[in-house]
Amino acid sequence: MGGVSVRNVTKTFGAVYALDDISLDIAPGELLALLGSSGCGKTTLLRSVAGLEHPDQGQILIAGEDVTQAPTRTRPIGMVFQSYALFPNMTVRQNIAFPLAVRKQPAEQIAARVDELLALVHLTEQAERYPNQISGGQQQRAALARALAPAPQVLLLDEPLSALDALVRTQLRDEIRRVQQAVRITTLYVTHDQAEALAIADRVAVMKQGKIEQLARPSEIYESPSTPFSAAFVGNRNALELPVRGGRIRLGQVFDVAPTGMTSARALVFFRPEDVELLPNGRGQPARIEGKTFQGALTRLHLVVEADGQTARLYADVPSRSAGTLDTGSSVRIHVDPASVRAFPADV
Amino acid sequence: MVLAGRIGRWLLFTALAVYMLLPVLAVALYAFATRWTAHVLPDGYTWEYWRAALDDQRLFAVVARTLGLAAAVTVLDVLLVVPAVYWQWVRNPRIRVLLELAAAIPFVLPFVVIAFGLLTLSGQIVPFLQGTVWLLGLGHAAIAFPFLYWAVDGAMAAANVPRLNEAAQTCGAAPLDILWRVVVPNIGPGIATGGMLVFATSFGEFALVQILVGNRFETISLYSLDLLSGTNANFGKLAVITCFTFVIVFAISAAAVHWNRGQATRLLHGGQPIEGRG
Repeated sequence: MGGVSVRNVTKTFGAVYALDDISLDIAPGELLALLGSSGCGKTTLLRSVAGLEHPDQGQILIAGEDVTQAPTRTRPIGMVFQSYALFPNMTVRQNIAFPLAVRKQPAEQIAARVDELLALVHLTEQAERYPNQISGGQQQRAALARALAPAPQVLLLDEPLSALDALVRTQLRDEIRRVQQAVRITTLYVTHDQAEALAIADRVAVMKQGKIEQLARPSEIYESPSTPFSAAFVGNRNALELPVRGGRIRLGQVFDVAPTGMTSARALVFFRPEDVELLPNGRGQPARIEGKTFQGALTRLHLVVEADGQTARLYADVPSRSAGTLDTGSSVRIHVDPASVRAFPADV
Repeated sequence: MVLAGRIGRWLLFTALAVYMLLPVLAVALYAFATRWTAHVLPDGYTWEYWRAALDDQRLFAVVARTLGLAAAVTVLDVLLVVPAVYWQWVRNPRIRVLLELAAAIPFVLPFVVIAFGLLTLSGQIVPFLQGTVWLLGLGHAAIAFPFLYWAVDGAMAAANVPRLNEAAQTCGAAPLDILWRVVVPNIGPGIATGGMLVFATSFGEFALVQILVGNRFETISLYSLDLLSGTNANFGKLAVITCFTFVIVFAISAAAVHWNRGQATRLLHGGQPIEGRG
C-alpha cells in the first residue's frame, strides 16, 4: 500500500478558504482521521484526494505519484460516502462487482473477489438483495466492500457512520477498523465525532477553518492538546478564562499552575471533568452542586465555584455508584491536579 | 365514519371514471351505429365500419407510418435529452436555465407558428430537408422534448444522480459507463413516463404534419381530417380510427405505468423490503 502526501493545498469557494495551505503525510497502512466541526474543510480535503474537488494550489501524491490533475476514475482510491451511495438498481453483489466490471476483469476473477469481500464484511447472506432491502449498517458495509473491491492504494471514508444509530455506529466503527487492519490499507477518515476519531485512528488531524490545528496520536491529542481549539473540541473539557498574576493562574484551591512562557494578562484554561477530584471535608475548594446528569457509569456534576472574587461554572465526572449521596444544592470540595490543566494565552 | 368515507371515495372515483370514459364509450358506440339521431343509444348496430377499416390498406399504412414516426421521435428525444440532463446535473448546472427556457417554447408558441418558423428556418439553412419526414421528425422532437426533460430531470433529482455519479467515478467508471450502467437504470420511470408523453404528442400531432409534409407523409391525424371533410366524409370509420388510436396510446400508457410501479419500489430510497426476493 502507498501513502498519501498533501502538499500546500489551498482550495477556495468564493472568498472562503476551505483549505488554507494544508500539508500532511499519511504513512502506508495508516488510518488518519480528519476531525473538525462542519465547514472546517475536512470533507473538502478528502474530496480533493478523491479528485472530486480540484485544489487551487498545491499537490496531492498517492503512492508517490502526483495525482493532482488526474481524474477521479484513474486514481487508486476507494471511497465510502456518508449516504452510502450504493447503486439502487444493483444487488449487493453487483454493487461490489461494479468497480471490477468497469475494469473489464474476467467474470471468474470478479466472482471470487466479490465472494471474498462479502465474507470480509459479513454480507454473504445478503449478497442477492437490493440496497433498499438491507439495513443502514449493512448498506454501509456493502459500500465498504465496494470501495475495497479493486484493491485501491487508499481508502477514503466520508463520515461513514453519521447516518447510523448509536449502537450500530459503535459496532461498525470497530468493524471498519478490523477490516482496515486486515487489509492494511492507507485510510483517510472524515468525522466530526471526536470519540469516533480517537477510537479508530492511528493519528488524528484536528481541523479548523481550513487549517490543521493539531496532528498527533489520539492519546496525545486527548492528553496534550496543543491549541485552545484542540483542547475545547476534544475531550469535553472545562474551559475557563482566568487572569494571569505573576506568571501563575489559580482558581482558589481548585488549582494553581505556572505555565512556562505565559506572558499574556489572561489565560484560557482547560481541564477534563474526570480530572476534577472530590476531596474529604477540610481540603480543596468548596463548590456547590447546581445539578447533575446521569451518564451511565459516570454522573456529571454541574458545579459552581466562587473563588478569588470570581464565579466559575465547571463539570466534574464521578462514578455513578458514589454520586447517589451528592444532592443538588449540597456542597463538595474539589481539586484538580495541575498536571491535568492546559493553559493558553487568551489573547491569541 | 369509515364506511361513509369509503362510500365517498368510491362515489368520487366512479364519477371521475364516468367523466373520463363516457366520451370514449360514445365514440366506440358510434363506431357500431347504423344511425344515431334523437335517442340516447344508436338506432341500430353494424360491423360495417370496422370491416371497412380492417380492409383498408391505406389505413394500415397510415397507422404503421404514425407509429414509426412516434417511436423514432421518442428514441431521438431520449438520446438527446437524457445525456443533456445528466450533463446539467453533474457538470454544468448553469445550462439548466437554457434547457428550461427551451422547454417552455412549445407551450408559449402555437404549433402552427412553430411549424411556419421551422419551414422558414429550414428553407434558409437546410432546404433539402423541406417536405421530408426528417424535418417532421426533428420538429416533433423539438415540440415534445419538454415532457421528457421534466420527467427525466425529476427522476435524476429523486435518484440523487450527482452522488451516484461521484460514487461511480470513485469506482473507476468512465462517463459513458456511468450514464449507461448507473444513471439510466435508476431513472427508468422518468424515461418511461416522459417517453410515453413524447410518443403520444407525436402520435396525435396535426399542425406540423400538415404544414411541413402534408400528404407526402400521411399520418393518422391527416387521415382523420380527410374522413371529416368533403366528399370522403365517413364519420363511422373516423370513430373506428379514434378507437384504434385510443387503444394504442392507452396500451403504451398502461405498459409505462406498469413498468414504473415495479421500478419505483426498488429504486426509491426507503422502498419497502421485499422478503424472499432473490
